[in-house]
Amino acid sequence: MKRRMIRACCEWRKPGKAMFSAILAGFMAVGAGFIAYGQDVTIVKAGGGKLSIDISGFKGGGGKKDTFCSVLASDLKRSGYFDVVQQQGKAVIVADGECDEGSDSFSVECETRNGVTSKRYFNKDFSEKGQNAAARVAHAVADEIVWAVKNVKGIASTKIAMIGSKGRVKDLYVSDIDGGNLTRVTQDGMAYPAPSWGGSQDVLFYTSRHGGFPDIYSIDLHTKNRRSFSSYPGLNAGADVSVDGRKMALTLSKDGNPELYIMDLSSKRLTRVTRTEYAAEASPSWSPDGGRIVFVSDKSGSPQLYIMSSSGGEQKFVSSRGSENVAPDWGPSGRIAWSSKRGARYEICVWDPSTGQNVQITAGDADYEDPSWAPDGRHIACSRTVGYTSDIYILDTMGDAPIRLTRVQGDWYSPCWSP
Amino acid sequence: MVSRRWFSIVAVICALSFMSAGCKHRSPDGGDSLDPNMIGGGEGTEALGERTDLGTKIEGLNFSNVLFDYDSFQVSEGEFAKIDEVANYMKSNDSVLLVTEGNCDERGSREYNMSLGEHRALAVRAHLVSLGIKGTRIQTKSYGEEYPANAGHDESAWAQNRRVEFALYKP
Repeated sequence: MKRRMIRACCEWRKPGKAMFSAILAGFMAVGAGFIAYGQDVTIVKAGGGKLSIDISGFKGGGGKKDTFCSVLASDLKRSGYFDVVQQQGKAVIVADGECDEGSDSFSVECETRNGVTSKRYFNKDFSEKGQNAAARVAHAVADEIVWAVKNVKGIASTKIAMIGSKGRVKDLYVSDIDGGNLTRVTQDGMAYPAPSWGGSQDVLFYTSRHGGFPDIYSIDLHTKNRRSFSSYPGLNAGADVSVDGRKMALTLSKDGNPELYIMDLSSKRLTRVTRTEYAAEASPSWSPDGGRIVFVSDKSGSPQLYIMSSSGGEQKFVSSRGSENVAPDWGPSGRIAWSSKRGARYEICVWDPSTGQNVQITAGDADYEDPSWAPDGRHIACSRTVGYTSDIYILDTMGDAPIRLTRVQGDWYSPCWSP
Repeated sequence: MVSRRWFSIVAVICALSFMSAGCKHRSPDGGDSLDPNMIGGGEGTEALGERTDLGTKIEGLNFSNVLFDYDSFQVSEGEFAKIDEVANYMKSNDSVLLVTEGNCDERGSREYNMSLGEHRALAVRAHLVSLGIKGTRIQTKSYGEEYPANAGHDESAWAQNRRVEFALYKP
């Protein structure tokens, strides 16, 4: 297995099959239940196949229909569950319908069915107005198809927040998951790492030295209205909102040491949940049920992962291999992704607390950091650093090849996938 | 009977050794150091005072940065003189306020480095307090790894970037 991993590293320069194989290997091992905690994975079998889907039957809609079909095809491929075919009668799934185009709008009545059994999944109207209306309709249709056919939350309509850095100017950005519509959210150049969505696609929390010190701000993405949210003395960082949107975990040093706190978002009442002498905590992330948090502490002498109840109490050491284990993200499927220093490189690893299965999913000549789960529980956004330049990549835990998200000059890091 | 007594004695010694080990702090570079040698960062450290208006930054002061080992927030003895110099200045200028600004090198998690930078700033603050400077005159700020003093990517640059800078203000 060692030899296999090394070979995969060397082959990263030829992206595609080599990297695909390396990642596929790791995740197929998980799927087959053959991984021992803290050990290299063993390749057991190939992953699940994709369903063929025919989307060539959409009619009407003028020029915007082409945009709609193009975006829909990309979205369905990116979901990881479909192969898009252009030949009628050759696909297991068929999606078609009637498009209608206005000067400022686009709509489609879409039916999706099984081409073999004729089972109808849905027949539904989708409509959008304004800029990129056809693309937004396509995203909505793609997510509906993924949900109807695979019973998985789609990601086509989701967004990714990230920090973009040009020299000492660092701002908060948001893009679609294909890298399009990259929007600069802040303009003061003072954003710190690790933005966090506030339970919806409307609000982001992030740390900035806008007021002179590292404070947590919230920003409404529609109005761009920014509010100071946490400005205690010292450090205010690491905001992470629970899945139910009612609580925030964060790192504060107001009591003389960087510690973790839980804030009730309605009352802003704080509860301190760590009391670690001579240690710093960081990077809290909520479990899907809100009962626990995974976080980083250096109390053992190096930054490692721990899990504790969100009300405090015993801290369970969960890191395995790696001289440093940092930046955990507890995903919707219950698995935790994090960045582990293995040798000289940071790699993305995934651990399932319910089974103990632990897999390294990257094996290239780059540093992979700051993983953030997609709502589908399958894809992960992360930063990939080569030659001191970082970009955001999308990894597929089921084995599809990584996709580079950012193609604009600068350093891009700290991705955070929206709900 | 004798062997049972010996077993009890050995068990007590083992338990005491274990408890003693629990009182030690394992330093970031892997060695053990006793608590009395630690500076700042503990639960016993006083809470930070409310932020106050700092006034105008005093330019032209060239206090040396306090430097740190990799992944460490311990102030080494070799750095004490740099902090003493700032303490003496603040004692002679008792209206002056200070922000200790913690920084890290580019290695490691950016988010963890925010906490580590703050821990360094707090450690220097604690040393100043132990020298008689009122904690209410000192605020802390972490820049994490975001603003390196040296843009290089080698050990020489990293050593300069693992630092606490002194920013002094006159209200």
